[in-house]
Amino acid sequence: MFWLSLHLEKGVLKLPLKNTNIVSAAHTKFGKLDGVTQREMFSEAVDKATIEAGVPKKDIQAAFIGSFIPEMLVHQGHIAPLLLDFSGLKGIPATRHEDACASGAVALRAGIMAIESGMYDTVLVGGVEKMTSTSTPEVTEALAAAADDQFESSIGLTFPGVFALAAVAHMAKYGTTEEDMARVSVKAHKNASTYPLAQFQKPITLEKALNPLVIAWPLKIFDCSPISDGAAALVLTSNEKAKQYTDLPVKIIGSGQASASMNLSDRPELTSFNASVNASRAAYKMAGMTAKDMDFAVVHDCFTIAEIIASEDIGFFKPGEGAKALEDGVTALDGDRPINPMGGLKAVGHPVGATGVKQAVVTYRELIGDAGPNQVPNHTSAVVHNFGGSGATCVVTIMRRGDA
Amino acid sequence: MSEKPSIEEYLTNIQEGKFRAYRCADCGMVIAPPSGSCYSCGSSSMEWAEVSGKGKLVTFTVIHIAPDEYAEETPYIIAIVELDEGTRVTARLLGFDPLKPEDVKLGTPLKLDYEKGKSGKTYLAFSPE
Repeated sequence: MFWLSLHLEKGVLKLPLKNTNIVSAAHTKFGKLDGVTQREMFSEAVDKATIEAGVPKKDIQAAFIGSFIPEMLVHQGHIAPLLLDFSGLKGIPATRHEDACASGAVALRAGIMAIESGMYDTVLVGGVEKMTSTSTPEVTEALAAAADDQFESSIGLTFPGVFALAAVAHMAKYGTTEEDMARVSVKAHKNASTYPLAQFQKPITLEKALNPLVIAWPLKIFDCSPISDGAAALVLTSNEKAKQYTDLPVKIIGSGQASASMNLSDRPELTSFNASVNASRAAYKMAGMTAKDMDFAVVHDCFTIAEIIASEDIGFFKPGEGAKALEDGVTALDGDRPINPMGGLKAVGHPVGATGVKQAVVTYRELIGDAGPNQVPNHTSAVVHNFGGSGATCVVTIMRRGDA
Repeated sequence: MSEKPSIEEYLTNIQEGKFRAYRCADCGMVIAPPSGSCYSCGSSSMEWAEVSGKGKLVTFTVIHIAPDEYAEETPYIIAIVELDEGTRVTARLLGFDPLKPEDVKLGTPLKLDYEKGKSGKTYLAFSPE
């Protein structure tokens, strides 16, 4: 009886997400894709996730697309119908979703709600960003739109600067070092070295990761994710429909989203991102699980310090213990709790609007056991953490292999 | 002091070296940068607040790579400062060598200051007391 009441309390017997399955998922090569436009990248990702995966395009009933700032980067608004038209999906409802770097995961959430509501039984979730056709200063200025323009950017605070402010606070409170942060970069490059779709496929030494080119002290060049092009797409279906396409779907069993003050100065905590903590709690609660039940995590390492803090915020490690776990190899590909087994944003690349969808794509591949040399040993359940801007938005998704 | 504060005037005040914060007219919480509703009681009724200009350093960074507008000013220090009134603001930090960040100690007592930037703008700034 006690056991039963405990489980009732955890909500195991009436979990809210019952019907959402990923049946196919793919992304393009990430990197500087010269001569490939936004719509061509998107179309490639769609083809991989539909016809090449045995899902006919005519089955897709609606599309939810994450993209951050195509208006500024490629002078194109109203991109959802444009992308669908080029990808052979013209006619169905097409909506673009934007929450800075979390645009992909908020699009995914919209797709989840579309399936769970019963309104549709097969939908496409996509994400795209074409960043390298614009000059670096223009991209930097455009990306600053994810911070508060009037009170942060206007005094010269940059995006790396925002994470540097958090890094200095974390260093002061917990003794985290520049070397700890560099280890995130070393791990990311090592994992990505065997992932063909990654922007960077070369392992780097700790010495190289500590390259003294400072961007925003204490963050240096190898602490920052790159400017990238890329697109990702996946197909969500109801339980009934999933059987048509695959014997091994991945179920989405928890989804949490939270917001926080745009200004870092308005946040009570600087060593933890409260939107991450709140989104994680909501997602675990919805899934009836805890961080201990997760075999691995895919987190938003836009800067190295962000992975260390995320590993604490999602409950893998206690506050202040993320760097130690990293140093001890706990989060390595072959560690007890792997984080970013494909290489994360740092080495795979960060085409902003595609990132949240790409994270779900790589998690799907790990869960179904299709990650090749990057396969994690235990792959039943995973947590995916996607972050917008300096953490004013966070989306956390819990995924579980369909036969588990 | 009774007129309704606006963001435009908040920013103009900084340009003129006359920083003022917002204060919740209902519970007295001092708020800066401006918010449309009080973080403490939720009221939308705001008034201007003079501040002591004293505070302490919460965290900082040194910007080396900046957008074009600020590129000539690099390296410069950006800090989060907690005012004695309790609110925290993002500002430039003066009085330290940006190339010696290890000399900057969190918790250092600071006072309100301003910096006239090469960009032509005046920034909210703080320097050691």
